[in-house]
Formats: sequence, C-alpha cells, structure tokens
Amino acid sequence: MTAESGGRLGRRLGRILLVLPYAIRHPGVSVGELARKFDMDEQDLLQDLNLVFMCGLPGYGPGDLIDVDLQGDRVYVRMADYFGSPLRLTPAEGLALYAGGRALAELPEMAEAGSLKSALEKLARALGVRAEGGDLAVELEGAEHLDILRKALEEGRRVNIEYYSASRLEVTERTLDPWSLIGARGHWYVIGFDHLREEERIFRADRIKSAELGDPAAPPPADFDPDAYRDAFRPSADQKLLKLEISPEARWFEEYYPTASAEPTQDGWRRIELHSSGDIWAAGVLVGLGSDARNVEPASAVAAARRLAATLAERHR
Amino acid sequence: MRRIERLINLIAALLDTRRPLTAEEIRTSISGYDSPTQEAFRRSFERDKKDLREMGIPIETVKLGAFEDEGDGYIIPKEKYYMPELDLEPDELAALRLVADAAMVAGDEAQAGVQKLSIFASSETAPRPRVAVKANMVQEPLLGAAFSAVQARTPVTFTYTSGRGETSTRKIEPYSLTHSRGHWYLVGNDVNKNEVRSFRLERIVSPLEPSAGRYEVPKDFDALARTSIEPWEVGGEEIETATLRFDAAMRWWAEQNLADLPSKDGPEGSLEVEISFSNVEALLSFIIGFGGAVEIVSPAHARASLLAHLEPYLGDE
Repeated sequence: MTAESGGRLGRRLGRILLVLPYAIRHPGVSVGELARKFDMDEQDLLQDLNLVFMCGLPGYGPGDLIDVDLQGDRVYVRMADYFGSPLRLTPAEGLALYAGGRALAELPEMAEAGSLKSALEKLARALGVRAEGGDLAVELEGAEHLDILRKALEEGRRVNIEYYSASRLEVTERTLDPWSLIGARGHWYVIGFDHLREEERIFRADRIKSAELGDPAAPPPADFDPDAYRDAFRPSADQKLLKLEISPEARWFEEYYPTASAEPTQDGWRRIELHSSGDIWAAGVLVGLGSDARNVEPASAVAAARRLAATLAERHR
Repeated sequence: MRRIERLINLIAALLDTRRPLTAEEIRTSISGYDSPTQEAFRRSFERDKKDLREMGIPIETVKLGAFEDEGDGYIIPKEKYYMPELDLEPDELAALRLVADAAMVAGDEAQAGVQKLSIFASSETAPRPRVAVKANMVQEPLLGAAFSAVQARTPVTFTYTSGRGETSTRKIEPYSLTHSRGHWYLVGNDVNKNEVRSFRLERIVSPLEPSAGRYEVPKDFDALARTSIEPWEVGGEEIETATLRFDAAMRWWAEQNLADLPSKDGPEGSLEVEISFSNVEALLSFIIGFGGAVEIVSPAHARASLLAHLEPYLGDE
C-alpha cells in the first residue's frame, strides 16, 4: 500500500466510510456515542462530519450533497443512502477474525464458546469459506491443565503448579499469580508473578505437570503488557546472548528461533545471536545443530553441550 | 478542494451510478477532477483508483464497446462493495470483539473487521472487560492473497524456497490455508507433481500470481486431518515409525501430551511411545530438548544420526 493510502489519509477515509453507515442507520445518534464507538476524538469526528457535508453526487447542488444535520449533540445524516452499508471485510480482516476466533475456540470451557461458535459460522458464510473449516484450519496445541489456568484467570486465583523447566531440566513446585494466557508459536503459555523466583515469568502450558487452584491472587500491575510476549518470550536487559554461526543447510533454524541479529558470513554461513535462556538451554540448541554450528560463544555453552552430548552418547551407543 | 473530498466524491458517484462512467464523464462531472490538462487528470485519477483499490474498494474497469477507441468505463458494483448483513446477535458480536481484543499481531485487522460488523448492531455496547487471553496468529505478508486464492478457487504460481535452500517455481490449486505450530501453510494440489502438498507461507519468496483455470477441491480432501503438522512430520520423503523411551521422571509429559499415540510400559518405570516421522533432524531436536531423559529405541539409523550430531562435542577438548 502506498504511504498515503495506508497512512493518515487512508485511515481517515476508512473511518469516514464506517461512521457514515452507522449514522445513517441510527438517526439522532449522539456525537459522544459515535466517537466512543469508533474510538476517536470528538473534535476529529466533528471535523470529519464537516468535511462530508461538502461532498456528494455530480451536480453538487442542495439535492446532491450529503446532508449532515447537527441538532445539539445529535447527528442526522441524510441524502447518502449509497453509503448506508459498510464496505465488505477485506480478506486480511476476515482472516484475522476467523482464524483468531478458531484459535480461541480451542480453549476449554470458554464462557463465550457457544456465542463464538455461532458467530464464526455466520462469518464463515459471509467469507465464503466452507463450514467446519474445510478451507481454513487452525491448530494450537491443547494442554492438560488449560482449564485450570483459565479458571484461575477468570476468578483471580493463584495456581500451584509443578513445572518442568527446560532450562534446568528439573521439576519445581511454584505458586503463580496468573496474569495472561497466550497462544503463540503453536503453544499456550501462562504469564504471571512467580512466587518462587519473585518475578514476572512465562511458563509453557504443556510443561506443567500438575496444577491446582489456590488463594486469591494479586491483580497484574498496571503496566503489564501481554503483547510484549508475542514471540512467546520477552528478552530482558540482563539476558545473555548465545552467538554462533550456522551452515547453509540449517536455514530452518531462523524460522524456529527468534533471533536477536543475523547476518551472512563471507563463506555463505550465517552469524546469529539469540537471547539465551541459559547454558542448559543453549546446549540443546547446539547439539541439535551438530556440525551445522561453529564459532560458538560463550565457552560455558559449549561446555554444557559437551556434558549433554556425553549423556546422550551413553544411552545411544 | 482536498484530495480526501475528491475521493469521497469518486466513491459516491461510482457507487450511485447505474452504468459505468467514462473517464471523460468523471473528469467533467465529479468535483475535484477539474484539472487544466488531460495529463494531470490522468495522473490524479490513476493514483486515486490505485489507492482506493488497495483499501479494498472494488472499482471495476468495464469495456464499453467492441472498438478499441470506445474506451473504458468505471463503476463500483454495489454487491461487491456492500457488506452483507450477518445478522449477528449481540452475544455473537461480543464474542468477535473478544477475538479482536485477543489477537496480537493481526490485532489492527481484526479490530477494523469488528468495527465494520458492528455497524449493524442495534445500539452502543457495554464497556469491555480487560482481556487476559491472547492469541498470536502469526501475520504473514501473503496471508490475504493466499486466503483470497483459496476462496476464489484460483490456481496460483509462485517461487518457493525449500527448507534445504532449493528454489523452484510451483503452480498450485489451493485447497486450504492451515495454521499449525505457529506457521501458516498453503495446502493444495501441486499441478506438476499432481500431489497434495503443504507450502509454508514464509518460504514463498514471490507474489502469488493468479493463473488461468478452474478446479474442484476433491470431496475426500480433509483439511482438518492435516491441521496437526509436527515439525518432524514434514520435509522428508518417507514416513517411518520411531519408538521413544521416556524415563520414569519424564513419562508424565508423554502421558499428558502424546496421549493419542500407541504406547507401552518400558523398563524401570519408563514409557515407550510410537511416533511417526519423516524428518529425522526435527525429531532429533525434539528429543535433545529433553536433555537425556528420552532415548530413541528404534530405528537404528535414527540412533546413528543422533550420535553423528553429538560428534563435534565428544572426545578431547
């Protein structure tokens, strides 16, 4: 999309093409309601209405221009029946809603499950996709304890979990104030305050061995932003980097691991930096790459990879 | 006159007209196009058409007569512009709002979609609760185009880079769009191979070019049967079965997450699970992630591959 159509002018025009149908269908709607509904400033809304007032059909006489009538704070739009319905959903809009809805519908015991299912059926018909997802299939791995996690979020309760940490290779007991449940990169994650480590942490739901509801939980802090976890991890300032070079045969690697930086080397390999979850985690990454990795830093990650290799070799010789 | 007014006038005229308007009619009758020269008009009109089409406004070009010099006409067909009423109940609309609030990366598209759908709603809705559940449907630049191709049943041609870095041109009859494990796949019949294949969208390195031709989706094609695409199930040639031994300390993970696979008790409290795979590299990564608590019992060549991966980390420093 060109800078202008995707930018301010495009957004403004898109908004006007939404406000007009609503105002035409709801004569006498208040300025305040319109502004809230379309998430805009009342001043901007009034400016838009003033602009529309100058537009209309060829001839542009009194019978051709759009009639915008402000009575007090009530809005009446007439002489513009051709703007009486909104524009169809774009493929991207339809897909975002439909696919997002299908992902949420996978959650167990959603209070809104019935409404969501029937809404998605109606949406599917309007989009022209076949019912039951013939055209569009969305899968997020379920996990054993999602129902408890959802309930804890809904009721504002703590959860007591046994959690298998892939960066320590051990199961620990933890108490968690859950803040958010996130589906990303094919898995569900729970984010919250971890009383064991006394900090904000992210946990992969399939690695929770057991979960039960606990005491009332503290609410999330006002500045908690779940969107920071869209890649299923949030790099922190003190997190160490794993640096390595990967061979041309390991192209898949950058699709699976969010990289902090990546650049080609002169001989066709790639120099990569990853946010590391610790040496044990790094060891798994390195052994998985085998001879497709070289020039690794830090040395402690290589040492951990040697320990892991020895353990695995003992079992597979 | 500002450009946004001219755009509104253009949309209004092309929506309201019963017959296509010629460029000359647009120039002389629509307010805002009164340019001094034919060339200046041409430039403005081309730019407007392009930007409006990118917003999803269906401006169609119609041949007006049999002869070349009779020129083109322009119209916005009402049935292609106006959104059909979905008759969403208030609870269904509320469920879709929840989806839009939960969508992470595609959030703007989902919000725009829900605003269009809410034009038909009877009145203002209650303030929304804070949404604690979030779903990250990965956003790909080609997603809208791929979805359109699936909906329209249009064959598409594109350039594809495989996980091994080999580039080829493919012609596909799209059957479905599938989201699995954090990746989008276009699934369809590969015309040259005459086989159903899955293509990962992020590996499509060209635009999707629509090709001529029509096709039917086979009745026995089941998109849902293909939803769960594990990394070790794609990319290889043959499908084989591996037996994995989960140690007593990790068997709970297999019991919770691989419950639908055949399994039996192994030695020392372990659990042996049969898993099908075609991509041995991805299977190895999966096992290595358990840090030695999972062993490949068979096949022998997968054990040997694992040992080969360990090689760089075995022996003297």
